[in-house]
Amino acid sequence: MLQQLFDAAPRFFSYYNILFLLQALVATFLLSLVGCVLGFLLGFVLAVTRRTTGWRMAPLRALVVTYTEAFRRIPFLVTLMLVFFAFQAARLDTSVFVVALCSVCLIATAFIAEIVRSGLDSVHRNQWDAATAMNLSYLQTLRYVVVPQAWKVMLPPAFSFFVLFIKDTALASQIGVIELTFAGKVMANKGFPAALTFGTVLVLYFALSWPLARFGRWMEARLAPARAR
Amino acid sequence: MAYSIDFSDIWPRLPYLLGGAWLSLQIAFLAFCGGMVIGLFGAMAQAFGGPWVRRPVDAYVSLFTNTPQLVQIYFIFFALPDWGVLLSPYHAVLIGMTLNAGAYLTQIQRAGFASVHRPEIEAAETLGFSKLQSVRYVILPHIMRTLFPPLSNLYILMTLGTSMAAVFGVEELTGRAFNVNSETFRSIEVFSLTAVVYILITFVATFLLAGAGRKLFRARMNVF
Repeated sequence: MLQQLFDAAPRFFSYYNILFLLQALVATFLLSLVGCVLGFLLGFVLAVTRRTTGWRMAPLRALVVTYTEAFRRIPFLVTLMLVFFAFQAARLDTSVFVVALCSVCLIATAFIAEIVRSGLDSVHRNQWDAATAMNLSYLQTLRYVVVPQAWKVMLPPAFSFFVLFIKDTALASQIGVIELTFAGKVMANKGFPAALTFGTVLVLYFALSWPLARFGRWMEARLAPARAR
Repeated sequence: MAYSIDFSDIWPRLPYLLGGAWLSLQIAFLAFCGGMVIGLFGAMAQAFGGPWVRRPVDAYVSLFTNTPQLVQIYFIFFALPDWGVLLSPYHAVLIGMTLNAGAYLTQIQRAGFASVHRPEIEAAETLGFSKLQSVRYVILPHIMRTLFPPLSNLYILMTLGTSMAAVFGVEELTGRAFNVNSETFRSIEVFSLTAVVYILITFVATFLLAGAGRKLFRARMNVF
């Protein structure tokens, strides 16, 4: 069986096949990166909305809670299908990459909103109270008091969510986004041994995710508050 | 012509979908239990083993946590037949999910093992406990309290992860949703109903797990 792999390897690792796989790797990376950056911005807005007080914001708060609780409990595959068919029903003529990006964004927003919320909660109550006593508005409190302290708590888990999602985007191959898993399927359909194609795909995912995971752990250790070190 | 929402074809098929949800729960439960066993031995190997035990376990963990579960199952399902290992879709998914869960659970439980204070393990040694006994009577009761929230979190994520089985033709919740979709072409309705079922079953699981965690291990668990 190993002989079969060695025989197919020179044909498999041709210039254009390698180019195709690397382009697919970039697509995988971008899908997760762009989705998570947008998700971070939107998730931040949601978390900030959720921390507001006062009855005027109550309907918005309820909306935010429903959104974050619901979208953290829907599998990525189902979200993909929903967005895919919703785009179709709305007659939006977009590429499948955009569809996948929207689904990543929807899910990432919900998860990162929770991460940001726990980051905001990690700032001691006294700090919030002190800011109120200094007559800072809610947004000023966030800008000058809370976020400078909380970003260290929010960034490592948000980053590890991003690394985790690189692997979840493999499901985007199901709607035809040309990312790494899809490329592997194309290669397997061309007749290359499955062990070779999927083995290569696994190695490429590992090469992308492992350094990022290491970097995330380094960042977490670096940003940890002095008392926890 | 705009798309009009119409659930009338979907409601009669709800019991069929719920049957799929039951299978999803079964897969998640079996994979979690298998992963727990792998994870426990993995964490023990990393806590007590020499370098020749630790290194393969480290390799296993970083290999399975840094590659997608979907591609792991692809490998098991499509590549292993070349070596004469033929698995049904259900078993391929179950094995893939168990191995994947085992890697994550090793990571979680290793962190738990590391949180036990050195003197406690030394005290157990002084009392003549074997390694297994000290894990069973000293370490586990101690760490379950802090470990329970991340474990139940992973269980919820794994319940969502079972939707991957649909790709291989296993008829669990998402797989059945695909079937209903190709019968009725009511895509948005089917998948939104599926999403609601997923939300409900994971909510039930969250509440039950939080209750169990508070009762059994006095774990601090907030549902919201």
